Amino acid sequence: MKDSNISENDVITQPVKIAARNVQVYYGDNHAIKDVNVEIDDKTVTAFIGPSGCGKSTFLRCINRMNDTIDICRVTGDIEIDGEDIYDRKVDPVQLRAKVGMVFQKPNPFPKSIYDNVAYGPRIHGLARNKAELDDIVERALKRGAIWNEVKDRLNEPGTGLSGGQQQRLCIARAVATEPEVLLMDEPCSALDPIATAQVEELIDELRQNYSVVIVTHSMQQAARVSQKTAFFHLGHLVEFGDTDKIFTAPEDPRTESYITGRIG
Amino acid sequence: MTDVANTGAPAAPKTSKSLLTQDARTIKRNRAETRFKMYGIAAISIGMLMLVILLTTIIGRGTGAFQQTFITLSVPLTEAKIDKTGTRDIEQIKKVSTFGYAPLLSAAFAQKVTELGIETDLKPKDMANLLSKDAPATLRDYVLENLDQIGQTVEFEFLAQSRVDGYLKDRVDRGSIANDKNISAEQLDLVDGLLVAGTLEKRFNISFITGADASDARPEAAGMGVSMIGSLSMMLVVLVLALPIGVAASIYLEEFAPKNWITDVIEVNISNLAAVPSIVFGILGLAVFINYMHLPNSAPLVGGLVLTLMTLPTIIISTRASLKAVPPSIRDAALGVGASKMQSVFHHVLPLAAPGILTGTIIGLAQALGETAPLLLIGMVGFIASNPPETIAEGLLSPNSAMPAQIYEWAKRSDPAFYERAWGGIIILLVFLISMNAIAVMLRRRFERRW
Ligand SMILES: Nc1ncnc2c1ncn2[C@@H]1O[C@H](COP(=O)(O)OP(=O)(O)OP(=O)(O)O)[C@@H](O)[C@H]1O
Ligand SMILES: [Mg+2]
Repeated sequence: MKDSNISENDVITQPVKIAARNVQVYYGDNHAIKDVNVEIDDKTVTAFIGPSGCGKSTFLRCINRMNDTIDICRVTGDIEIDGEDIYDRKVDPVQLRAKVGMVFQKPNPFPKSIYDNVAYGPRIHGLARNKAELDDIVERALKRGAIWNEVKDRLNEPGTGLSGGQQQRLCIARAVATEPEVLLMDEPCSALDPIATAQVEELIDELRQNYSVVIVTHSMQQAARVSQKTAFFHLGHLVEFGDTDKIFTAPEDPRTESYITGRIG
Repeated sequence: MTDVANTGAPAAPKTSKSLLTQDARTIKRNRAETRFKMYGIAAISIGMLMLVILLTTIIGRGTGAFQQTFITLSVPLTEAKIDKTGTRDIEQIKKVSTFGYAPLLSAAFAQKVTELGIETDLKPKDMANLLSKDAPATLRDYVLENLDQIGQTVEFEFLAQSRVDGYLKDRVDRGSIANDKNISAEQLDLVDGLLVAGTLEKRFNISFITGADASDARPEAAGMGVSMIGSLSMMLVVLVLALPIGVAASIYLEEFAPKNWITDVIEVNISNLAAVPSIVFGILGLAVFINYMHLPNSAPLVGGLVLTLMTLPTIIISTRASLKAVPPSIRDAALGVGASKMQSVFHHVLPLAAPGILTGTIIGLAQALGETAPLLLIGMVGFIASNPPETIAEGLLSPNSAMPAQIYEWAKRSDPAFYERAWGGIIILLVFLISMNAIAVMLRRRFERRW
């Protein structure tokens, strides 16, 4: 909202949460991610920006191994979270995904009630001992997803009956309900109005206290507002990665400059 | 907005045409559309016409089977004929065969005719000929059940023999009986008399639906009941085996199996299996279940196993189609919050696919219900299903027929009375199929309305 936010994003060094080394992703013969190296800090919001089709979502999906579900997708290289290789044979992707939550590009609520949508994660992970605790978790999650006021009287109605923007916030609530350590958000605000966007951005800022948040966005302003670090992708390459202020004020690569000034994309 | 105005200006030379008149292209397009609609309507009309012809023929020919001619008679159960010793010893009474009961019927018939004052030259034995050959057996069964009634006079409603029934249904007339040794013109005169007196009447016959098949000489006594039990037992086997196996196989193939050439081969083979003629499954059943595993001949269990093989591909294909139709984003959503693959399938995908799976299963069952060819080979066609089974196990293991097999059996017998029953059987079969489809539609609606 406020452009002065950029300067507020003072850089405090945090421990590295996610480290990627020489990551390549292929969809069949299509080389979608080319040799990406990046270190994403804990308790930091990192924004991925870049033109459509450059591989932002693909790289994001590598971090919680959602790419495993795509048959033709092949990932090579190392990705470590807290120093542990998540592509190690011993790693169960299910356990990984409980730790690394995700909000998808398209809102995808379950065709169940709003309550069940949010309660599903905590239920399968056994986060609540009784109904009251579960109610608490659901309420807290919906509040953090900035949707509580709109749905508190209709928790038993289907989540699929909400508007697109409400569905997306419901999905955010669902993702935070399982208390992940890393939250991956693929264009979480693309279907939201400015007010809901501001609320979600506030949530992201709040999540930063405890988690590492990675957000894909097409909005430069949003990247500038919420993130401390920014990664610019272009044609599968990670062109530039650094402090958000620096990327937006003094980009090193000419491609980055062209993109943020609106010349490619 | 302004863009439109701007581009509008240079295009001005192109003369603007009135929207109130159609240009040649539009007229041509509209004509093509109208013609296509006509073809569609014609096609539907032909289809509907066929359906109407089919239904009217079936109903017209088949409803007769649900009615039967009955003759009401008061039969004195003379002790001297039935229980010569007078001891009411069931073993002694059992020694009297159905043959021994025939005179009772002749006497009762003659008395009735006299009471009604109908003039006839017929001998009592010929009068009793109007009754079904089943009548003495009916009488004997009654006596064996009710020993205390011996010596009393009891009123019975006997089936009339099939020529009499045919006469009332206009299948038999005085011209056609010239060479028929089963019935004579005098007997028909007597029938007319009895009809007027109300002793003989045509009405709804429940035992066509519930009864057992009967031998060639007694078409009037034949019913679908036992073969219906045969069909239902087979459906039970199919449901219990094909549904879980089919659904499990589909879930595995669709959600878990790696996509490689082995699964491709399996997939192609399942699709091909759906197109294999059912008689192939029949001979397989004969070879494996009967000759190798020594399961009983003509048993609904074997029939059910064969039909399971036949239905499995249908269920697998429709289940996979409905699993495929569940949007992948739902799976992603479940996996994204840390559900395991199995949780995502059982908590989210399967409930959404359930209506499709159920519809596929019911359609598969309906197909199996109407299947006759494989039953030929395992001996369920041509078997005279005359004894209703008493337990489910017996229903599965003792020889039986099935509805379509029973219909075929009747249609191939020479007596036109059986031909009528074949049409009646078709009606029953269709009622089953229509109800199954109705259930499929209902389940579908019900599950879909949840969200
Ligand atoms: N499931 C898939 N199967 C095959 N190719 C894919 C798949 N998903 C993405 N790709 C390809 O990978 C490349 C990167 O796609 P990706 O979705 O990561 O782009 P993106 O940066 O997220 O774009 P957008 O901003 O439009 O969401 C594209 O060339 C795309 O065609
Ligand atoms: Mg994307």
